[in-house]
Order: sequence, then C-alpha cells, then structure tokens
Amino acid sequence: MLDPKKILVPVNGGPVDATVVALASQLAKPAKSRVYAIYVIEVRRTLPLDADMPTERHEADVVLDQVEHTAGELDQEIETEILQARDIGTAIVEEAVEANVDLILMGIPYRRKFGEFDLGRTVPYVLKNAPCEVWVCREALGGRNSTK
Amino acid sequence: MFVIVMGCGRVGARVAAQLSRSGHEVTVLDINPDAFARLDTDFAGTTLAGNGIDTDTLRRAGIERADAFIACTQGDNRNIMASQISQHLFGVSKVVTRIYDPLRKDTFQALGLEAISPTVIAADHLIRALGPEFASDEGPA
Amino acid sequence: MYVIVAGGGKVGFYLAKELIEHGHEVLVVESNSRRAAEIEAELGSIVMFGAADEARVLREAGAERADLVCAVTGDDEDNLVICQVAKARFHTGRVIARINNPKNAEIFHRLGIDDTVSATEVVLSVIEQELPRQHLIPLLHLRHTDVEVVEAIVEEGSNVAGRRLRDIALPRECTVAVILRDEAAIFPQPDTPVLVGDALIAFTTSGNEAALRDALLGAD
Repeated sequence: MLDPKKILVPVNGGPVDATVVALASQLAKPAKSRVYAIYVIEVRRTLPLDADMPTERHEADVVLDQVEHTAGELDQEIETEILQARDIGTAIVEEAVEANVDLILMGIPYRRKFGEFDLGRTVPYVLKNAPCEVWVCREALGGRNSTK
Repeated sequence: MFVIVMGCGRVGARVAAQLSRSGHEVTVLDINPDAFARLDTDFAGTTLAGNGIDTDTLRRAGIERADAFIACTQGDNRNIMASQISQHLFGVSKVVTRIYDPLRKDTFQALGLEAISPTVIAADHLIRALGPEFASDEGPA
Repeated sequence: MYVIVAGGGKVGFYLAKELIEHGHEVLVVESNSRRAAEIEAELGSIVMFGAADEARVLREAGAERADLVCAVTGDDEDNLVICQVAKARFHTGRVIARINNPKNAEIFHRLGIDDTVSATEVVLSVIEQELPRQHLIPLLHLRHTDVEVVEAIVEEGSNVAGRRLRDIALPRECTVAVILRDEAAIFPQPDTPVLVGDALIAFTTSGNEAALRDALLGAD
C-alpha cells in the first residue's frame, strides 16, 4: 500500500527522526497524503497526567521545530502535536486510531542492553497493537545518522 | 524468661535452641509442623503449629505472659504484623523482628519496631571480610 | 480522585474497572508480571509491575499524591504493611485494607488502619439475616466499646406487638433507636406503638443482648 491518506510519525529527538520525516514526506507527495508528527511526553505516576512540564515541553518544541524544518525543505506540510501520556506505545496506538491514520512510520536507534540488541518496549507494543500498517526504520549500525 | 520464637527456619531453630540451653522457657511457632525437625531432639522447649498473625494462635502460645517475642519467618510482612500484634495488642515488652528488605526495615523502625535486616548485616560482613581497603561508609543502620 | 489499587487479583481488577468507569484516575500495582500484562491488555496503561509493599514501588506509583490507597491482595499481612507504608512514608490521604480474617479488623484498627473490608464478614451478615427470626440480627459493633447495634423483627404472636414502646420493659443500657416500618424509618417516641412486621433497630451492650432478645422477641 503506497498511497496512505494520513501518515503518523512519532518522533522523540532520536537519531532517525529526520529520516522518517523525510521518508513520510516523500511518500506523502504523490499520494497527496497528510503527515502528522507527534511527540509523546511520558508522565511518571508521581505527577498527574496533565501536569505542567515546562522542561519536557520545551524539548518537544525543539524536536518538532526540527521536524517542521525537515518537512518544509521537502515542501511537505506537516501537522505536529505534543501529547502527555503514561505510556508512549499506548499513546501512539490510541492517536493512530483517533486520527484515523493508515500508516505509522517510526524510527528506532540501534540500542544494546546487556550486550544484546534491544528493541525497547514501544516498538513491539505498536507492532502488536496498531490497527494500521506500521513501518519501522532502524538507525544504521554504528549510528551513521546518530546525532548523539 | 519466657520467649516465643515465630518461624522455625534455620535461624529460628538456632535462636530457640540457644535460648533454651541458656535456661529460658521457649515456645517455637511455625505454620508448617515439619519445620520442627530442624530442632535438636533434646530441645527442651515447646513447639506449636499455627499461624503467628492469628491472635488465637498467639494466645495458645502464651503471648499474654511472654517476656519476649522474636519474629523470624521468611515473610517480612508476616513478621511485621505478628510483631506489632505482640507489641501493641499484648504488650510484650521485648519484640524483635527480622525484615529482609532494608527500606521496609527503616519504615517500621521509625514506627517503633526493633528490626534486624540480615540483608544489610550480611552485605556489610561480606565487604568487611574483604579487608579494610574495601570498607565503605554505608554500614548497617 | 487518584486511587492506587495494590493487588491485581479479581477484587483489584474489578475495583479498578469500576473506579475507571466512575471517572477516577487509577493505578493497579501487581507483583506478577504476567497478571500485570493481562490487566493492561484489558484496561489499558493503568498497571505498574511491582510489589506494593516496597516503599520504592509505592513512591514511583505516586503514593504521595494519591487520595486513596486500596490494599486488596489476598494476604492480610501484605495489606497491613502496604497501608502502613503508604500512611507513614507517603502520608497518603486515605487507606483501605481488604482483610480475610474478620478478627483482623480490630487488630488493623489498633495498628492505625481504620478502614477495613472483609468479604467473610459480609457473607456472614447475609447468612445471619437469613436465620430464623427469634434471633437478634447483629448489624454493627461500635469500635472500642461494648455496644452492639442489633435488629429485631416483630413476628406475629410476639408479646410486644401492639404495645407502646414505654410499656415494653427493656433491660438497662438498651435503647430502641429506630423502627423500620414499610420502608420508612420512624424515630420512636415513648408512645409510639410497635406493630407486627416492624424491624426494631436497638443499641445494647453485649451483656444485655440476651435480655433484650427476650424482651423484644419473646412470645407468651
């Protein structure tokens, strides 16, 4: 399926953000699809869900500004949103349902935990639970795109 | 003195035997009667199978005339509850509780229990056994 | 309200579900990872995997801002410790403990935990309400006192039926406080008559219970 109507791109300031945003923009162009980027702030239980989190929101703003810039360079309009949630994976899936997207495009860094490649918690959750197509883009080994 | 020991594991059995040999009257309490096999055959005290957080069992063990109560089952919470019952409901003057979890030990010490954490003590002894150059500021509280 | 439910067994699960439906913020703390995953699949991201009797876990769960901690695991000693830790370390607004052994209500109270719920007690009270009515039905024991609140139902042939309250010889330290009649509550005066079918709600000391039963339920 290469003509999605609406693409959801969860970003987090990671090394593959620019790649997935660019990819979404390129996909969107011929199909005239909409691109929707979200940054999910995970709120720990010690705080209420709607807690004021200025530091985290500032970080999110910086990341989303960068995302808009990347899309802008490819002449693609992009909607952005900051969400506060208890769990990133759940928030992504819920947002995908809510916004009626037909593709989720997400990036992951190459991470190791106890010496083994580690997929983390969010990607498996989204792969397992999202109703739409999901594409995952892994950073190159050695972090070619790495910003950190 | 009359001492009730709750929990007849390795530590409980040893405590009971030692107190008994020093001439104290001892009753050992355990949920599982098989646990009493850990006591020496010449153990002079009494054994009682039952749940130490049940006031009826404690009464049967003689808690109302006990001078001391030691809680050393495997369950921290069971030890904490039985000790608080002995201390606050039956007014036993000397109550000592084993609590493995150091954080929980601090909490209940603050609430007035005399608590021993074997976790903290063992870790400290192991490090000390390595020699003085390994010593840290953290000791058993 | 923010409610922490400690223990994700059947009681914890349905409690959480109801609270969510009533619009409350809920977190279930469950120490079995598989069970925690099951609840998450069912109720969403309102579960934390961990042992609620550990202070570190309760802190992460936000016990400091919780309005209520409900300890509903299957073990009374765990529920006691969870409530005590929540109160002593995190000053949680209110704590409620589930107890299995009804006798523990008094013990928990003496140890600072005032709100306890016992399924055993509830079933027992239902059974007692089904018993033949020559008995007083125990409703409540007033904490720290010797005072019981009991119910007596006036049957056909009872020697109090048709008499005014002041003509009924009650033992000392007994009061009929309310009469339930046709689903209405009557606060009786000395000249209020007692009728067949009335439920008399009375206060009594436990020592006077037998005498009260004879006075209210005896027949000629």
